[in-house]
Amino acid sequence: MNKLKSNFRLIAAALPVALLSTGALAADETIAVFTKNQTNPYFQTVRVGAEVAAKSMGAKVVHYIPTKPDSIPEQLSQIEDVIVKKPSAIVFVPVDYKAMVPGVEQINDAKIPVVNVTDRSAGGKFLAFVGADDYSLGLETGRYLLKEMGGKGNVVILEGVKGSLTNIDRVRGFNDAIKENKDVKLLASQPANYQRLQGLQVMENLMQSHPQIDGVLAANDAMAIGAIEALDGANRKAKVIGINGTKEAIDAIKAGKLLASGDYNGFVQGCIGTMVAIRSLRNEAIVNEVVLKPTVVNASNYQPYDVPLEARTCPSWADAAAMATKAPTKTN
Amino acid sequence: MSLAGDVSAGTPRIHLSKDMQQLLYRLLAAGLLCVALSVATDAFFTANNILNVLRQASLLFFLASGLTLVILTGGLDLSVGANIGLSACLAATVIKATGSPALGTLTGLASGCAIGICNGLMVAKLRIPSFIATYGMLWVLHGVTYYYMAGETIHGFPPGFRHIGSGYFLGIPIPVYLMIGFLIAGTVFAQRTVWGQQIYAIGANPMAARLSGIPVDRRLILVYAFSGAMAGVASIVFLARLNSAEGDIGEAMTLPAIAAVLIGGASLFGGVGSVFGTFVGALILTLVLNGMNLLAVNASWQPLVTGVIVIFAVWLDMVGRKRS
Amino acid sequence: MSDHALSPSAPARPRIPAVPGVAVALVGLSVLFAVASPGFLTAGNLSNILVQSVILLLLALPMTLIIMTEGLDLSMGAVLTLASLVLALIVVATQSLMLGLAGALGVGLAFGLANGWLVASLGIPPFVATLGTLGAAQGLALIVSDGQSVVGIPRFVRLVYSGEVAGIPNPILIGAGFYALFHVLLYHTRFGTYVCALGGNREALTLAGVKWKRLLISVYMLGGAMAGVAALLMTARMNAGHPTAAIGMEFDAIAAVALGGTSFEKGNGWIFGTLMGVLTVGVLRNGLNLMAVPSSVQVACIGVLVIFALFLDGMRSKKS
Repeated sequence: MNKLKSNFRLIAAALPVALLSTGALAADETIAVFTKNQTNPYFQTVRVGAEVAAKSMGAKVVHYIPTKPDSIPEQLSQIEDVIVKKPSAIVFVPVDYKAMVPGVEQINDAKIPVVNVTDRSAGGKFLAFVGADDYSLGLETGRYLLKEMGGKGNVVILEGVKGSLTNIDRVRGFNDAIKENKDVKLLASQPANYQRLQGLQVMENLMQSHPQIDGVLAANDAMAIGAIEALDGANRKAKVIGINGTKEAIDAIKAGKLLASGDYNGFVQGCIGTMVAIRSLRNEAIVNEVVLKPTVVNASNYQPYDVPLEARTCPSWADAAAMATKAPTKTN
Repeated sequence: MSLAGDVSAGTPRIHLSKDMQQLLYRLLAAGLLCVALSVATDAFFTANNILNVLRQASLLFFLASGLTLVILTGGLDLSVGANIGLSACLAATVIKATGSPALGTLTGLASGCAIGICNGLMVAKLRIPSFIATYGMLWVLHGVTYYYMAGETIHGFPPGFRHIGSGYFLGIPIPVYLMIGFLIAGTVFAQRTVWGQQIYAIGANPMAARLSGIPVDRRLILVYAFSGAMAGVASIVFLARLNSAEGDIGEAMTLPAIAAVLIGGASLFGGVGSVFGTFVGALILTLVLNGMNLLAVNASWQPLVTGVIVIFAVWLDMVGRKRS
Repeated sequence: MSDHALSPSAPARPRIPAVPGVAVALVGLSVLFAVASPGFLTAGNLSNILVQSVILLLLALPMTLIIMTEGLDLSMGAVLTLASLVLALIVVATQSLMLGLAGALGVGLAFGLANGWLVASLGIPPFVATLGTLGAAQGLALIVSDGQSVVGIPRFVRLVYSGEVAGIPNPILIGAGFYALFHVLLYHTRFGTYVCALGGNREALTLAGVKWKRLLISVYMLGGAMAGVAALLMTARMNAGHPTAAIGMEFDAIAAVALGGTSFEKGNGWIFGTLMGVLTVGVLRNGLNLMAVPSSVQVACIGVLVIFALFLDGMRSKKS
């Protein structure tokens, strides 16, 4: 009886200690997550993915987002400020893949492990790169549209922000898809800066000079939806594709207004990026590169995307590791 | 001082004939642009494209017409774009929650107007320069909107509501009717009512206005409230047009709206300008963008062309003013 | 722009307020962050804040002068961007930093000249004139870069930003140097006296036989040149040129100047106030980052700060 009691006491004493120590461990692991802006829904999916992964692994996430969308000087300053705080690890989406290299080097100098997500940085040392290939995303989504058009007709491209990596690669993918079909004619390629209103107005203007437009390739969903509104307003029909697989795009696909949206799953990118960061802190095996395959979301396969962000779950580590595209090497 | 001197030397309300001359010069600029575009591309001078330009100009005009009154008093409202963002998001939430477009529209207008009143109180009562008060307000509104929306969008509104933005009546888009309505109402208000005259007087010479018994503070608050309310109107039309609300919806609109007012012949020193001039200014800016799309001007050249045309239009206006 | 909400008549000479709102804000925020965030009051972090503030300071100093002339320069951020790209292209092509800097200063001076000419000679309101040149500079930036970043800049250019002399980072030295220069220029030269007069007292200048148009043009050219200098630091900081790097920075500069108590009329400028304005913004952003305040709240805080400091100033001028 006495023995039992003392045993019990031992356990009772040990339990809080054990709890505290795991609690302390978890609280120590702070992952700083850098994203480009607060306005594009895509980065919200990355952030939620990071949060879900960190929560399931008992770590803490702190977000750093430039107050001015995509501001290079501001993200550089935020890096400098964060280095003072010394987070355990960083999950990093550069606002510009070339101009942020000095920032990445500062993180490297401060010996904070960092995972590169979404846009591949042109320099600096990373634990891993987790992202997608914008070129093949543009190419595959473009191909799908042209196939649905029967390989012939007139198309226009709505470009995103000039000079951004995503735009360069997606538009290159679109153009290559168009070149594969010699009966498809590219009427115009005009910028609408990833903005909905500009997508709508540019489309309205293009419809004036081109009486027959059969397909629209928009470099993101907001512009695609804007273009659809323009088409509806003029009572004209054209097949439209967008990129990002946002909730709004899924709804438009369900309603039969949008043909398809290319998606490379920001949620999963956020998940895997954060999992790699935390696992490296715990000295567990990691992967060095995950390039997610583009999915062309259309009326037949949208169901998995039709789930609120917070209710989605991260892939298991085994699944994530299976997506690794390269043998463990340095990403540079 | 020379510029300010010119303005304060003039009487608050100048002779109509001189104004008409001014307007003619501005219409001439718009006309030249139209002729040039008609020559350059067949697609320009079609009924469809003209309606298209008018509808696009209407969005800019809603913002710019409210701003005109603010600029007439010698102030500035930099928060209008951010105001659209928050008002549209709040209106969208209400429409989604209640299913009632009327309530949503009221919410958008009320929120726009409330923000305008805050601006007016800061400028008139707290004596903060309007440039800074509204610039601070811009940041506050962005912050609130970003926090509220958390990177999401709200989309999908009832067809009846959508009609405000994308519908037609007798073959002419609804926003164009709204624009004409506000154009007439704004012109009558500014030129034919006592309050309108007082607004011109405040801009021309605030001290004199105060001394002559005009309730300057109340008129200032009124003017900012108008500007905010017009941002509310714009937010509703945006919402109906785009079928979607997001935080940065009005983001790119502030500077073009100010530019439209200035191209329309208003002076930032106050006391000079008209709602009709602003209408022409909005038209000129829209024509430039429309023309560049029709002509498929390379993306990189578009800001440069816009910048040069803004300067040229204002310069033309100045020359005209000196002549008359 | 005439904001008649301000006191109707004020002396044309610079006036140093008793306890300006910006000083209250700067000290208040510093104390708050020092208490709330342990990392704030370290030498490393304080140097961080100073270094981060320098580029904005380089724009805010000439902006103070321009605003004192009842003017405004909205093109500064775009000119900085264009100058940075030109600098990057020249350095990549020639490997010579001096040539690159000359190119950047050339771009700045040319745009300054254009702004000054439009404002002083053609009489176009500064807001419109510089809004137009903003578009022009932004367009040219896209054209020369074809919308892409310019990379391949030799490492030694980085040292301009990341190097240090006697333990003090280069940017701080550059910032301090230009601050001293502007202080002397404004308060101890005839140029400074004339600039003060340009704002509230143009007739007096004409009567005194001063060619005020030329003077006004030179003020805008000074602004352009400083954008060129800032372009050097910006390029060195990113080790790249980027076509949207400094878009919108002119508004930050204007806000910092206004925060520092320079009024939009009658030539009331205060260089030290501008310095405090720039630092206040720097401290606020740094402190909020250290406290890991969500970005959306940070955005709102900046707005509240700007309004609050100017509100304090307004209260004071009402009392006096």
